[in-house]
Amino acid sequence: MTRFIARRLLLALPILLGVSIVVFITIKIVPGNPVATLLGPNATPQARAELTSRLGLNDPLPVQYVHWLWSALHGNLGTSISLQQGAGSLALTAFGNTMILVVAALLIALVGGVALGTMIALRPRSAIARLSSSSTLVLIAAPQYSVALLFVVFALRTGAFPTGEMHSTGSSGFGDLLSHLFLPALAAALAPLGIVARMFSVSLSEILSQEFVSSMRARGLRQRAIVRHAMHNALPSLLTITGLQVGYLLGGVLFVETIFDWPGIGQQLYQAISARDEPLIEAGVLIAAVVLVLTNVLVDTIHAAIDPRVRA
Amino acid sequence: MSAVGVNLIAAAATRPRARPLRRLRQLPLALVIGGTVVAVLLITAVFGPLLAPDSATAGNIAQRLWNVGTAGHLLGTDGEGRDVLSRLIIGARPTMIAGIVPVLVGGILGTALGILAGMSRRGVRSLIMRTLDVFYAFPAILLAIAIGAALGPGVGNAIISLSIVLIAPIARVAESEVLQMRSADFMEAAYASGARRVRIARRHVLPNIAPPLIVYCTSLIGLCIVYAAGLSFLGLGVVPPHPDWGGMLNDLRSDVFTNSVLSLVPAIAIFIASIGFNLLGGGLRQLLNVRERDVAA
Repeated sequence: MTRFIARRLLLALPILLGVSIVVFITIKIVPGNPVATLLGPNATPQARAELTSRLGLNDPLPVQYVHWLWSALHGNLGTSISLQQGAGSLALTAFGNTMILVVAALLIALVGGVALGTMIALRPRSAIARLSSSSTLVLIAAPQYSVALLFVVFALRTGAFPTGEMHSTGSSGFGDLLSHLFLPALAAALAPLGIVARMFSVSLSEILSQEFVSSMRARGLRQRAIVRHAMHNALPSLLTITGLQVGYLLGGVLFVETIFDWPGIGQQLYQAISARDEPLIEAGVLIAAVVLVLTNVLVDTIHAAIDPRVRA
Repeated sequence: MSAVGVNLIAAAATRPRARPLRRLRQLPLALVIGGTVVAVLLITAVFGPLLAPDSATAGNIAQRLWNVGTAGHLLGTDGEGRDVLSRLIIGARPTMIAGIVPVLVGGILGTALGILAGMSRRGVRSLIMRTLDVFYAFPAILLAIAIGAALGPGVGNAIISLSIVLIAPIARVAESEVLQMRSADFMEAAYASGARRVRIARRHVLPNIAPPLIVYCTSLIGLCIVYAAGLSFLGLGVVPPHPDWGGMLNDLRSDVFTNSVLSLVPAIAIFIASIGFNLLGGGLRQLLNVRERDVAA
């Protein structure tokens, strides 16, 4: 198992390297001269030349990339222009709050998706199953900002939930956090829930039509026991489907956070974009991509743990 | 590519001397509903400036934030007193362009790369596909934001960044389709007859992978409209005061506390567009008999 994890991490290295190259390129294609921006219009040519060489901008691009990567690996992702702090640490702090939202949304999508998917797979011709399979289509198509805004209106009309931020003023209790978390997490979870439901119902009904299920039925096993066996066999594909949703959520929570004022990476990106704060944008995107790559390693590892066939 | 789709639709839909109404009834319901929604959207996008009752950019500040359903302003007015219905109608064009063009560009480049990878030797194939894997490592919308923010605001830059994002998923679908037909008899016959690879790609590979790709790309348009509106929402799309649905969403969002129904109008418009293209994609899938895929890239 250790060897599997080591090999999988090794395979992720070139991807991470590629990710860093893409982010470096997006920094480089920003129009305008960074030296002119930093020194203002009245700088002398000598001062400009000096800063250009001090920032290493005369070096060939590959050399600049290696320097950039070296400092990125040491946690230095440049300074945020609008906040004048380290962009890396700012993004990392915000990312913690984002992960609370992502994990909560993933749980909702997983539980709801499996329940809905099982229902569709077990009784495909019932009215409820038909209704739910067409509703998954609406769920999948739902833009997360539209759903989030609908939920804000719902919260305003009913007064049942707070409409923004992580905590009420002066409160930091867990219950308070949960009540702030529920609506944004649900808004982010709806589309992944639809996808999980649909994909899981397909793989579960494929398993239910296999011969071992018929033989269990012939031996007189009860429906509940049969479903349990079938679920066990559907676990690996459920894991793959769920893993795919992490990437979708990491992107989608961006809008949910903005609308619900959730102090995560999405809201930070929104502010960074309106402030033209390029280092902060790149730091957020880089961290999200690294987390996604590592999540895929984790998913593969769990996959190998529950399915010995993958380990070989 | 579209000729194949149209022929297949015609083949599936026609029986000899069927009446038009019956022909319509044989089409999947999703295709009919989705097709209708998409047709309305496209007509609005093309003829928008002729259909709009009011100006989209000039407003009367004395008439700001009127409710949905007010006489003369059917969908109300925004924070600057501009007619929301007119902005919605005129904003349909940039919204549709930013949703459809990236899928076309990404579709052409992605299909070309996918065919190239699928028909190449193992080494070349894995070089192409592993490079594309790098783009998969980013959450799609975040990659679009990174590129869009670097290029600066504007519809053109939003289209460029979304096109780049869509190349990798489309190429992956194209490659897996090509791999499935690689060892088919007609392919070996084509190679044996001495046909050049470009010719084989055009005459044999492309027509065979077209149906699943058309289905996939149709559903991707729904997603791309959502992403493009999202970029505008973040300030990376259409430059104000020109209307587009994402920008309107951002404008009206701040009025959710005072006029909540009004603030939902653009959100619902984007929702309907997304459902329309997804239904059309799903209907085409049934019609062309293509197996299901996870569209969310």
